[in-house]
Amino acid sequence: MDEFLTIADAARLIASRKLSPVELTRQCLARIQRLDPVLHSFILVTGERALSDARAAQARMMAGSMRGPLDGIPIAHKDIYCTAGIATTAHSRQLQGHVPAADATVVRKLAQAGTVLLGKLATHEFAFGGPSFDLAWPPARNPWNPEHFTGGSSSGTGAAVAAGLIMGGTGSDTGGSIRSPAALCGVTGIKPTYGLCSRAGVIPLAFTMDHIGPLAWTAEDCALLLQAMAGPDPADPASSGRNAPDYSAALTGDVKGMRIGVVRHFHESDHKVSESTRQGIETAIEVFRGLGAEVRDVELPPLADYSACGWLILMVEAFAVHERWMQTSAEKYGEIMRDRMALASLISGADYIQAVRRRRALCAATAAAMDPVDILLTASQPGEAPRIEAVSKWGILEQPSFTIPFNVTGQPAIAVCTGFGAGGLPVSMQLAGKPFQEATLLRAADAFQRATQWRQHRPPLAAIKA
Amino acid sequence: MPDTTLEDFTALVRRSRLTLTDAQVGELYKAWGYVEGMLARNRTPLLAREDEPALIFKPRES
Repeated sequence: MDEFLTIADAARLIASRKLSPVELTRQCLARIQRLDPVLHSFILVTGERALSDARAAQARMMAGSMRGPLDGIPIAHKDIYCTAGIATTAHSRQLQGHVPAADATVVRKLAQAGTVLLGKLATHEFAFGGPSFDLAWPPARNPWNPEHFTGGSSSGTGAAVAAGLIMGGTGSDTGGSIRSPAALCGVTGIKPTYGLCSRAGVIPLAFTMDHIGPLAWTAEDCALLLQAMAGPDPADPASSGRNAPDYSAALTGDVKGMRIGVVRHFHESDHKVSESTRQGIETAIEVFRGLGAEVRDVELPPLADYSACGWLILMVEAFAVHERWMQTSAEKYGEIMRDRMALASLISGADYIQAVRRRRALCAATAAAMDPVDILLTASQPGEAPRIEAVSKWGILEQPSFTIPFNVTGQPAIAVCTGFGAGGLPVSMQLAGKPFQEATLLRAADAFQRATQWRQHRPPLAAIKA
Repeated sequence: MPDTTLEDFTALVRRSRLTLTDAQVGELYKAWGYVEGMLARNRTPLLAREDEPALIFKPRES
């Protein structure tokens, strides 16, 4: 068996009985045992549950009654997803010992698809306060270089996928928290359209900005996970009610005639990116042109406009969630989460409404700018992952965010590795689609990955020593 | 440093009803400049009086 398999590869092997789900799960558990003392991607490993799930999948495999391509595939959940009978802490002392009675809707759907639950993954505290060193569990580390940041807040998911500890995992994205770790850990992560995947049972950060989605090695794998995760849920008031199309069927490799709009001003003037990031974007443009896509520059409102609007909404909505704890048990938060919530408490209701009014205008402007194109191409991060100790408390506010525009507008966006920088760490681009056009987005990302070699490069795990 | 004076900022903090130390207030005051910038940016240009927020309640059809 290959040392690293994608979900799609493993699914084919399991379906043809050439790979045992139990053997696959044992390999993941062994890799977790060897590498996670350094990577800290897990808060809780559920070894017994994983082997029980794997044995059940294996029985279905032998009986010829497999549930689908995710049956027997080892995954894990960001520790803001409620898991019945399994501690769910949001990486915070506020919820230490909290054991939910019920699964989040997406957890239940992925279990019904036959996935094997390896455990609960590290996150920034409540998906916002990190990377923090003063919490009950350490922050996750980047498998490409453990001295470096994973990105966040789905930090454990990004690290665990990159290191092959899990084959796919769940994340959440309120300002970039799927795409940032996907970019900095060199994996693929998609933030779907707002309302496509149920938020029910996922601890909220900001109600109108929270999006639920997967991270995995490839766009093809993300498509498989998203297929199981997406769909209507009456338990989520924001559920779009839409059923998902067949995402895997959309992965034809053909992007001939696809119209791609490059938002050049985002990364060349609004927030200048590193040379390796810029080069990765330019190379991606040439790859898409070579595949027959039509690429042109488009102009959107300034990145800082989306950032200002998005952060104001996010912070006020998050404070509304945390107001009571901030008044009664603020000492249980880490410093970063506590101080960010304290800052948020000072923003007025009128300020919030002004941001929500601006949001409608930005949505309209973005839709108008996208009228002549199918997808947008932008930067996802300013450069390679920085050293983890260098990530500052207020860094998120110092420069405009590449990812938050698509939380403001609610449209789908995906981070895709475009190569490596001078430090050997991954660089990435972001593709954004029109609302509920995840299939088009995944087709573009998949075509790019098939045409390039970046998915063949895994982190140098032999160098990771406890 | 922010445009808001420390005195006015401290009044904002009191209004929040959170219990913060002087050191915490000082730390937040330094960061408040970022929020000031976002608030100003968000109001530029001023929206027309009738411009609606993105979230307008729509009662469910029975």
